Amino acid sequence: MDSALSALRAILKALIETSKLSKLYSRGVHALRDLSLTIDKGEFLFLTGPSGAGKSTLLRLLLREELPSEGELKVAGRSLADLSYSQVQAYRRSVGFVFQDFRLIPRFTVFQNVSFVMRVLGVQAAVQQRKTFQVLKWVGLQHRMNSLPEELSGGEQQRIAIARALVNDPQLVLADEPTGNLDPDLSLEIMNLFREINASGTTVVVATHDRELIRRVGRRAITLDHGQIVEIV
Amino acid sequence: MRALQYAFDEALASLWRGRTSGLLSTATIAVALFVLGAFLVATSNLERLGAEWSRAAEMSVYIDDETTPEMRSAVEAMLAPGPLIVSFRFVTKLEALERFKQTFADLAAAAETVGDNPIPASYEVRLHTTPGSQDAVDELAARLRRSEGVVDVRYDRQWLDRLLAAVNVLQGVGLVLGAFLTVAAALTVANVVRLALYARRDEIDIMRLVGAPDAYIRGPFIMEGVLQGGMGAALALAALATVFLAIRGRYLMPLAAAVNLSSVRFLSLELCLVLLAGGMLVGCFGGLVASGGRDS
Ligand SMILES: Nc1ncnc2c1ncn2[C@@H]1O[C@H](COP(=O)(O)OP(=O)(O)OP(=O)(O)O)[C@@H](O)[C@H]1O
Ligand SMILES: [Mg+2]
Repeated sequence: MDSALSALRAILKALIETSKLSKLYSRGVHALRDLSLTIDKGEFLFLTGPSGAGKSTLLRLLLREELPSEGELKVAGRSLADLSYSQVQAYRRSVGFVFQDFRLIPRFTVFQNVSFVMRVLGVQAAVQQRKTFQVLKWVGLQHRMNSLPEELSGGEQQRIAIARALVNDPQLVLADEPTGNLDPDLSLEIMNLFREINASGTTVVVATHDRELIRRVGRRAITLDHGQIVEIV
Repeated sequence: MRALQYAFDEALASLWRGRTSGLLSTATIAVALFVLGAFLVATSNLERLGAEWSRAAEMSVYIDDETTPEMRSAVEAMLAPGPLIVSFRFVTKLEALERFKQTFADLAAAAETVGDNPIPASYEVRLHTTPGSQDAVDELAARLRRSEGVVDVRYDRQWLDRLLAAVNVLQGVGLVLGAFLTVAAALTVANVVRLALYARRDEIDIMRLVGAPDAYIRGPFIMEGVLQGGMGAALALAALATVFLAIRGRYLMPLAAAVNLSSVRFLSLELCLVLLAGGMLVGCFGGLVASGGRDS
């Protein structure tokens, strides 16, 4: 009874739980080592640390792009390793992911890139249009709706990737260096956007090198180095 | 339904982008089904020939020149129309000779020199061609042979059996050849689809990572195979029909007339649809194989 209650409380409060999570890549690189960490529902968390520290690896595990070598990773009380293929796809649709390298589909227009998941979900065309237009406006690119990704600058592509991550009202936003290609003012604007999303209850995890940005936003930040937690601020 | 529409749109776009390699698989499917279809046209017509021949199945009962009217009426009693026999007709010696002269003009002179008419009178008996009646026919023939005044009974269906055997062989050859070509076509489709898949692997990765269901990721590729198969089959049917129409008047009709076949026909609508569906199935199979496992 006790354990059931605490499990229930944990499910209610914690969204992401890792215990002794390790990721060993094939070349013997330990990208993550015995990482135990809890991220609460509705939290806004920064992941920081030097290049190669394992930030992207943790986010990839959270999207279930990769599976842990050891340890466990639970989201909303369910181990990601146990999900079936279609459950994985459904889970991914509930996550907004901003990739470090954007990953836009080259032959899709900006509009198609952003609205793709809604299209797959069978959202009404009018709703798709309205929502896509809205997020594109948030990132300031509504006028580039019909452009192809290759016609955009790096920063513009990054903002499209952000728009795609936010369009489907995700329960969890995972962003890998979402401001890596943006100037400081625009970076802060995007962070404010994430804060707004977070204020509406969405959990946000942002990986970034930018300590100045973390300082200005002022939220919990976990510093990784060599796959281990070295500091929590 | 939505996934189907999506798959269809994407497959059309992809086919258009990769039209040269798509042409290759469409062409191989077309060749395979053309060969298969040609065999089908041949065998279906031969089958009809067999049916027409057996409908005209006859038994000849040859009568001795010295037969008395009593003997003849005994024979006629046995030939009364019933479950086995449709009707019979008496052919006199003279009539038989006339027929012989007409059929074998060259030998007619020889027949004259013999002097006496050597050809016996006979009854031509039309038989029902109910399946399984063979035993009863054999039995009837035996009884007729034992009757006084009957010199011979001929009802050999050897020709018919040979024809039917030939149809079987032809069907077998066609099926084996068609099967080989169909497998080759399926492999070609699989390779072409795999090529398209390889060219778009980044895009597929992205779709997987944003959570697109399998139907949306593999669907377009499978649909591409289906469309290639369908187009190949349509092409094969069109080519077959063209060839058929082109040679019908010159070659097929005279050939049919020579073997007493009333008409030469193209594949039935059902067979055309079966071929079309077959092409799509082959393409679908190629697409399925090529788009392979669903490793996330
Ligand atoms: N697919 C892979 N195969 C082998 N090693 C990998 C792979 N991906 C990452 N690594 C290694 O794992 C370690 C952690 O990489 P990761 O991408 O998580 O770092 P990061 O903190 O995101 O760095 P950055 O700030 O440069 O993006 C690095 O040493 C990297 O070389
Ligand atoms: Mg990284």
